[in-house]
Amino acid sequence: MLDYVIKRLIQVVVVVLLALTVVFFLIRLSGDPTALFLPPDAPREQIEEFREKLGFNRPLHIQYGEFMVNAVQGDFGQSLRSREDALPIVLDRLPATFQLAISSLLLSLLIAIPLGVLSAFKRNSVFDRISVAFTVLGQAVPSFWLGLLLIYFFAAQLHILPSGGAGSVVHLILPMITLAAYSVARFTRFTRSTMLDVLRKDYIRTAKASGVPTFRLVGRYALKNSLIPIITLVALDLGTLLGGAVITEVVFAWPGIGRLLMQSLMNRDFPIVLAGVFIIALIYAVINFVADLLYAYVNPQIRVK
Amino acid sequence: MKKNAFFLLVLSLLLILSACTEGAAGTGDSKDKGNSATTEKDSIVIAFEADAGTLIANSDVNYVTDTQIRNIYDALIERDGKTGEFIPVLAEEWENVDELTWKLKLKEGVKFHNGADFDANSVKYSIDYILDDANQSFYKSRWVDVQEVTVLSPYEVQIKTAKPFPSLIQRITEDLLIMEPGYVEEVGTDEAAKKPVGTGAYKFVEWSRDNYLKLEAFEDYWNGTPKIKHLEFRYIPEFSSRLSAFLSGEVDLFKNIPVDSIGKIESDGNSKVAEVASARINYLALNTFHDGPMKDEKVRQALNYAVDVDELLEAVLNGHGTKMTGPLAVINTAYVETEGYDFDPEKAKSMLKEAGYDPESLELTLDTPNGRYPMDSQVAQAIAAQLQRIGVKVNVQVNEWGAHLEKIRNREMKDMFILGWGPAFDPQSTIENLFTEVAPYSSFYDKDLEAKIYETNALFNEDERFKGYEELQHSLVEKAAWVPLWQQADLYAV
Repeated sequence: MLDYVIKRLIQVVVVVLLALTVVFFLIRLSGDPTALFLPPDAPREQIEEFREKLGFNRPLHIQYGEFMVNAVQGDFGQSLRSREDALPIVLDRLPATFQLAISSLLLSLLIAIPLGVLSAFKRNSVFDRISVAFTVLGQAVPSFWLGLLLIYFFAAQLHILPSGGAGSVVHLILPMITLAAYSVARFTRFTRSTMLDVLRKDYIRTAKASGVPTFRLVGRYALKNSLIPIITLVALDLGTLLGGAVITEVVFAWPGIGRLLMQSLMNRDFPIVLAGVFIIALIYAVINFVADLLYAYVNPQIRVK
Repeated sequence: MKKNAFFLLVLSLLLILSACTEGAAGTGDSKDKGNSATTEKDSIVIAFEADAGTLIANSDVNYVTDTQIRNIYDALIERDGKTGEFIPVLAEEWENVDELTWKLKLKEGVKFHNGADFDANSVKYSIDYILDDANQSFYKSRWVDVQEVTVLSPYEVQIKTAKPFPSLIQRITEDLLIMEPGYVEEVGTDEAAKKPVGTGAYKFVEWSRDNYLKLEAFEDYWNGTPKIKHLEFRYIPEFSSRLSAFLSGEVDLFKNIPVDSIGKIESDGNSKVAEVASARINYLALNTFHDGPMKDEKVRQALNYAVDVDELLEAVLNGHGTKMTGPLAVINTAYVETEGYDFDPEKAKSMLKEAGYDPESLELTLDTPNGRYPMDSQVAQAIAAQLQRIGVKVNVQVNEWGAHLEKIRNREMKDMFILGWGPAFDPQSTIENLFTEVAPYSSFYDKDLEAKIYETNALFNEDERFKGYEELQHSLVEKAAWVPLWQQADLYAV
């Protein structure tokens, strides 16, 4: 088991370093950031001086080497714009992103699991069809559109919820719903299909035959067994939610990591982009690492492989 | 079991929701802002597309940062928005002792937010701050000619320059904001960049990054306590969200309304769009750095005849903009009327032929940013269509803003590109930065004209200087240095 853990831990490190490397070179393809920071009338010598100070005029492989040496020590340099250390700026946005990701995840589970169970249990009923239609819709609707629509109705028309920003519970409601829409659809479909599988199993038929009440049958026998694959999905989605809520964060002016990355990318604020990618890659890799460990714990065959 | 799990989920969701409220003290008042519009307001919320880069003065060259921190810090001199004239703020008088020496007399009795007195030391400190390499100010390049700042008396300061620096007053007006030396020294620049202290009308309350900046009226403001007591800047990156926030009454004011959204705002009973002429000009640059037809004066003139600016203004910008005919806009202090090129497609065609180009087989490239200037990429498409009418084929290349700017700076642009320039109040910075070889922003360069530009810039006599710029404007039009478009209109939703 220890061998396995160490092996997987090394993989985490490799994944994060690879992500940093790819982004480091990709972002440099977008050009030299100095043009965006200095005033337009800055003379050429000044631009050169600035580039030299930031090291942008050195060969790419030397810049890369230096960046990596510093990065593994947690030093991503200073934001080109605000001159503050990049990593703390990113970490500062992490709580807001966590809040949004976890709350929308919980919301989607709260809706999706009962919905999926009921759909499976009343298969082919009107309820099932409506719920299937609803989930297809949920997966198809782009989040920026849904977000703007919600803002339009609840903020601009009805004036009952703020259109964006952060600070109180009411600010969280609309972005949480927007972000949850997709997950709800995914989880509902998944719960429904795993539940259908389980309901076909012999032991369910036996339990049913021996007169176990429906509610207990579903809750105690069927759901428990169908939940395991859902947990996998949740782990995967959590990683996506934490790193990929860019659009929702931008539409709702939510001060999280996705929006910070988006803006820093537009501003060519390389240190912040790289620090952000580092954090997101790390979260993603760690979540997967934990999930793998859990599987290994549950299923010894994986360990052997 | 199911019940328990469900209960657990509900509980954790509630926990997260309640966790948000801890940091939310004092935000409850935002809800009733929307319906208090009729009564006299003592607070105002202004939306911006991005957060300020930093709150320390004299560092970040960016209109979003500058507009916000100018409420916290004061300048020595400002410009009258209508006439463009310099007006005294913290400096009462200024004089040019000789070509290399300037003297400024400062206002007495001005206090910083922390109670410290404003004096000549604060001015020296603020200029030295820009010049000090350690602070990495983006403004430094504009100030390198300043040699020394000397405190003559508590309210008198002298600035020595290494070479004649006739536009120093303009630099002081546009760049310099006054910092409190004692405070910055005491807390350090990192802290001062998060909790700024100035002499401005508003003092700092709270800054939540990417969220909001809250300021309150400074009771001891030298120019009287402001009527509006609370000022909040809110950062909403997406335009549609900004618009919704405005329509819902959460935001009272925001800038840069796309012309195609004006109807939406005006159809709302409580709002309107206010238009102010911007200090920024937009133009179609004709790139003479690139080996191509643009090197030929006749081709440039032909393009000036072929582009119908009135039509662009009417059809694409719905009339929101002020047409330009020469290198300078009316707001420029040295503006003179120049004879422009009237729209004349036939003349354009014959001039192209004179230059040895068959319009039907001429193919040009036009680069444009997308969303940087009002309707920029649509304007580019319309220009392409207008040139198509005389047979010239134009390939429009739409660039992301950073890439566009870099292409210009690296001189990788092809025949033509769209760009804006601002503030365009001052003739020196506008002409020098647009029509010399070192500056690629219009990518037009003519050896004789350049000599004339440098000669005029070094002149100290106001009349001679004005005359120099007058001649330059006429020559630039004659040489068809660019296709002037318009002075932008700033559209505010209020």
